[in-house]
Amino acid sequence: MTATTERKPRHAAPPRASHGLAAAAGIATPLRVAGGLLTVVGAYLPWATFVLNQGPYPAQATLEFFTVPFGVVEYRLHLLLFGVAAVVLALAPVPAKGRILRAIGWGVVAVSVINGIWITAEGGGLGAITASDGAVAFGAVVALIGGVLLVVGANAPGLDPVPSWNWRFSWWLEWLVLLVVYALLLLLVAAVLTSGGQGSAANVYSGAVFVSFLGAVGGLLGALHASGLLGWVGALSERHRVFSVVVLLACALLLPLTQAGTEYWMTVAANIGVYAATAIGLNIVVGLAGLLDLGYVAFLGIGAFVAANFSGAAAARIGIELPFPLVMVISAVVAGIFGAIVGSPTLRVRGDYLAIVTLAFGEIFVRTAQNNIGGLTGGSNAIPGIPPVSLFGNDFNDALTIGGLELPPGVLYYVLIVLIVAAVMLVFANLKNSRLGRAWIAIREDEDAARAMGVRTGPIKILAFLIGAMLAGLAGAFFAHKTATVSYESFRFLESVTLLAAVILGGMGTIPGAVLGASILFVLPEKLREFSDYRLLLFGIALILIMRFRPQGLVPDAHRRAELAPETADEPPPPTSVPAVAGSAEKAGQA
Amino acid sequence: MSEPTTTGGTGGAAVARPTILEASGVTMQFGGLTALNDVSFGLSEGEIIGLIGPNGAGKTTLFNCLTGLYSPTSGTVALRGTPLPQDPARVTEQGVARTFQNIRLFPSMTAEENVLVGRHVRMKQNPLSSLLHGPGFRRSEAEAAERTEKLLAFVGLTRFSDELARNLPYGDQRRLEIARALATDPSVLLLDEPTAGMNAQETEATRQLIFAIRDLGISVVVIEHDTKFIFTLCDRVLVLVQGEVLVEGTPDEVRGDPRVVEAYLGAPPEEIEAQVNRVQVPGVQDNGAQDNGAQDNGAHDNGAEDNGTQDNRAQDNRAQRNGAPAEGGEQA
Repeated sequence: MTATTERKPRHAAPPRASHGLAAAAGIATPLRVAGGLLTVVGAYLPWATFVLNQGPYPAQATLEFFTVPFGVVEYRLHLLLFGVAAVVLALAPVPAKGRILRAIGWGVVAVSVINGIWITAEGGGLGAITASDGAVAFGAVVALIGGVLLVVGANAPGLDPVPSWNWRFSWWLEWLVLLVVYALLLLLVAAVLTSGGQGSAANVYSGAVFVSFLGAVGGLLGALHASGLLGWVGALSERHRVFSVVVLLACALLLPLTQAGTEYWMTVAANIGVYAATAIGLNIVVGLAGLLDLGYVAFLGIGAFVAANFSGAAAARIGIELPFPLVMVISAVVAGIFGAIVGSPTLRVRGDYLAIVTLAFGEIFVRTAQNNIGGLTGGSNAIPGIPPVSLFGNDFNDALTIGGLELPPGVLYYVLIVLIVAAVMLVFANLKNSRLGRAWIAIREDEDAARAMGVRTGPIKILAFLIGAMLAGLAGAFFAHKTATVSYESFRFLESVTLLAAVILGGMGTIPGAVLGASILFVLPEKLREFSDYRLLLFGIALILIMRFRPQGLVPDAHRRAELAPETADEPPPPTSVPAVAGSAEKAGQA
Repeated sequence: MSEPTTTGGTGGAAVARPTILEASGVTMQFGGLTALNDVSFGLSEGEIIGLIGPNGAGKTTLFNCLTGLYSPTSGTVALRGTPLPQDPARVTEQGVARTFQNIRLFPSMTAEENVLVGRHVRMKQNPLSSLLHGPGFRRSEAEAAERTEKLLAFVGLTRFSDELARNLPYGDQRRLEIARALATDPSVLLLDEPTAGMNAQETEATRQLIFAIRDLGISVVVIEHDTKFIFTLCDRVLVLVQGEVLVEGTPDEVRGDPRVVEAYLGAPPEEIEAQVNRVQVPGVQDNGAQDNGAQDNGAHDNGAEDNGTQDNRAQDNRAQRNGAPAEGGEQA
């Protein structure tokens, strides 16, 4: 009796479903199970192994050749886990499992396609299906079919909305949950950062491993989001906002203790930090005030050259050496002044025309620096030999030993940039939620209406340029000391475009968006050395795909999400996701 | 066309009240096109003035001149005897707020945030305190939030406070625009077609809302095509035709004035004949001027465009009546 009554609503739930859909719902479960099983099988089939080995394919004569193609590690382990999870989910009573399975399916597709393409390109082609053919992509094909079946099966009966959970526990338990989540996040970031290792001539497959890992992580996060768990954690972190911020900052500072704690990764992380801080500054101009700036990296350059000139480097025109904190302030102020100068045309020029004005400014800066006009930039010789920042006689370049803890060289720079990025985030967040921030957004939305509401648009637009440029200048000062050489080549148009892309890709107007976008766009070149010739091509294709399928960016502003994603607009508004996002932002910031 | 007529005696009470907003001799020309010609009127404290007239009469252009969006070619606008600056932001600061004919909310901001932007001008918060979020900042934010809540309740939008402006129903968007304008603490509120596209109930609600605003001590100028709405709302009505004040008076006076009927419905047949005769000779010249006007105004403004269409329409009428005099007569 009870069983039937329980069943009825489940069948009655989609009364809107037509016959076709009902039929689709009937085969959904078999499709999902089949997809999961195929994925598992795919993971166990032979794959080309050079990707796994991160090196050349083993010689066919060796024993290794016969064992390695079947080893289930790395991406094959990811596939195995996805496959098992898919089978279990397909049969278990889980709410909104369609969305979870869809995310898993896309993860499987991504991993199979990425590895399949690599194997095809580097090995004998997809036609080679046995281990003895020399290159083995058969597993990729099977896993790909599994992934497609999963996606189709997940979509067949129509998707339920993402569930929202309202579990509440006592505060200490919630803190504990958050601690665990943030610790996992730290490990995940460290794993993503180091996956594939350092791209180089000796390690040409780092790109494959890294991108494949990104695909797997994307599938995992998508599944977690679809299950509503991410939303719940987001709500949790919103309730314990201060705690979350503190723990995230601590997590960011703990990165050197993970596997990312080597000199190389510390340098990569510090560079990401520089671009993240700059991207947040750009986000004020573009994301909040809606003023398109195509020459923004010039402000980073101005900050860097100012810092170089006050660093006491032999090649610097100005022979004064000032303490680093003072240099940071001076760099920020000088960059800010230039920001105000560049911003002043905004009083008269709007939209596309403004973009051209800023583009021209960026070019003027690069040409000036290249030709060493004024003798402040070293021209094509750059300004080399900038001494590292030091504190109490301790160079920031050096390794550090605290107690028995050995920290890699560059860790102090890493800590410094984490603090700088945190400060920049604070500036952005505070300004966004203020009279000034609302005025910026109002200008972005409708400049004339903003004026009619008493917003003095001229000074306020210039202020956006000024503050954005100051943040970039601050990052520039750090950049100069960290890289030790400042050359005009670091501040060309392509860098401006990449920064803009980072802001748009990540999600305009949000901190995590800018940080995530900057991280992705500045880590990828490190990993994809192998494809340096095609980097811009791939970059362009990726941007087109993202703009087509996720125009609101990876971590969209709550408002923009509602505006650009009608699909998700009818979901219960997640008031929580903003803090969660703030969390992951800081996390990514440290990366 | 005709002399602006100032019909005095707008009711004893209105006369006794001091004038708060005064436009004198406002003329606005776009190139060779005169959108407003020597428009003068005074708005008393606590008064509701209606501004009516055919499309393109220059009503919105007048609003733009009053709020500093346009600088009048000649003439002055003064608030409490002080000339208003030629800058919308500073006009709003002085206490003149407006809404727009085609709703211009900030679509991707919530209703609450829209009203908060209206508070911009009255919030004491410099960039530094915005940055540091000190106690002064929190006080001003709390004050603004409280005020916003009250205003949303005042226009009946409390339930939509967290909804994006773009998602509000049409009528509520108009209401939200009014709340946003009220947030600037105006002493004069200019409403540009506040009931356009509304049904009878919504129109009635808007009428009550405007009365309530008047009762707050705010003087109101309303542009509207719905003459029934205007005649039952306003203390005084201005009829603007082709950039000039045709008639000014109480609703009763204006309603009975034959020139108003003529402006809206066309002249009686014999007058049309006279007009046609008068116009036909320079007709070709007229056309040239109109075309120029129409092209120009696309580039810069509404008011001029309206004028262009207006002239074209008048011309159409003429043509139609020439071709089918019987029909024209019937209409009149």
